[in-house]
Amino acid sequence: MPFDPHFIARLIPALLEGAEVTVELAGLTVAICLVWGLFVALAYGVSGPLSWVAGAYIQLVRNTPLLIQLYLVYFGFSMAGFGLSGFASGLLALCAQNGGYVAEIYRGGLQSVSIRQFDAGRALGMRRWTLYTTVILPQVVARVIPPLTNQSIAIIKDTSQVAAIAVMEIMKITEVWVETSANTYDVFLGAALIYLALTSIAGVVGKLTERWLAFAQ
Amino acid sequence: MNELSPLIHSFWYLLRGAAMTVLMATSAVAPATILGILLALSYLFGSRLMRSAIIGYLFLIRGIPLLVLLTFVYYLMPLTGIDLPPFWGVVVVISLYYAAFISEVFRAGILALPQAQWDAARSLGMTRGLMLQIVILPQALRLAAPPYVSLCVSLVKATSLVSIVGLWELTMASREVVERTLAPFQIFIGAAAIYFCICYTLALYGRHLERRVLLGH
Repeated sequence: MPFDPHFIARLIPALLEGAEVTVELAGLTVAICLVWGLFVALAYGVSGPLSWVAGAYIQLVRNTPLLIQLYLVYFGFSMAGFGLSGFASGLLALCAQNGGYVAEIYRGGLQSVSIRQFDAGRALGMRRWTLYTTVILPQVVARVIPPLTNQSIAIIKDTSQVAAIAVMEIMKITEVWVETSANTYDVFLGAALIYLALTSIAGVVGKLTERWLAFAQ
Repeated sequence: MNELSPLIHSFWYLLRGAAMTVLMATSAVAPATILGILLALSYLFGSRLMRSAIIGYLFLIRGIPLLVLLTFVYYLMPLTGIDLPPFWGVVVVISLYYAAFISEVFRAGILALPQAQWDAARSLGMTRGLMLQIVILPQALRLAAPPYVSLCVSLVKATSLVSIVGLWELTMASREVVERTLAPFQIFIGAAAIYFCICYTLALYGRHLERRVLLGH
């Protein structure tokens, strides 16, 4: 029977437990990708073999499904003798794929900075490190916040795929509860509401960061 | 050579899976595109009620993972007695999902056109339908083409999720082969390579279109 209050009272804590795993996974992925993506984008920008490797990495991870990457890490690594837990495999695959997307976002941001800014910095005798940290990157950061917010929302949604390797996050808990209780509507409605809440929070945090940066500059 | 033999023996099977993936993606992309254009036009020119309804729809789709919706429909179909073949069930869900993202891309394309285009068309005495048909849409669709192609890549990758609800395509085929051969590394890399060939070809085409837009043809 749908909307049975006793059932919902037991369902909510279970789903929130899953939400905790989802938030940990998504939060770690976003944090790691912000650094890793910048590294890849900067590597892509320099000339030489490093740029070639970064370009190949970006294309490879962006043009294959996350699910295949998850299976490759989870089943492949354990077959090769160094098995990772479901959570670690999920984190690795999520970071690998989204690192490629975040790198492209940074690259777009770097390209949008006028070449004159680089020239002006150099004309003032700045070293590359000073030029990047004081002139270029502050401008890039302001421009990449909106696409990074969208990517973070996509990452939250992507974490649902680690249910396929039995990590007990929202999606897996939803499946288990539907299978055992047959209360399809309640369980899916609860899961959908939690995902909507999490992605909305990410959206609001992005907007606030955007506003704060516009104010700070 | 021995290491690769599981992949070589099952490669034909994987390619049949890939044919199914392509069939599924093409079946979903056509209705998604048509619905996406309709949503974009109704958003821009529809009544206020229509507009709020579409905003609500976009909010739901942006915040809920595709996997949740696919699983929901998988459990829902037997409950409601909708007798649709599973293939068409997932095609409907994927089209409805991607229509939302496609509509945003087309809406951005229409809004990116300078106001002068509208004014010029109106000064020639065109009706709104005619303006859209021969002035606005041809240009807007060209502007929207590159991001539209990236969405198509994303759609092809998203079809891998249907393997979780038990449909047979490339990802499901590769999982079956892995269960038989116990060679996850080789098989999943093979599957990833096939996905890469499909998606990278699309992505290159998108980049080609982007260059044409930038050159202003």
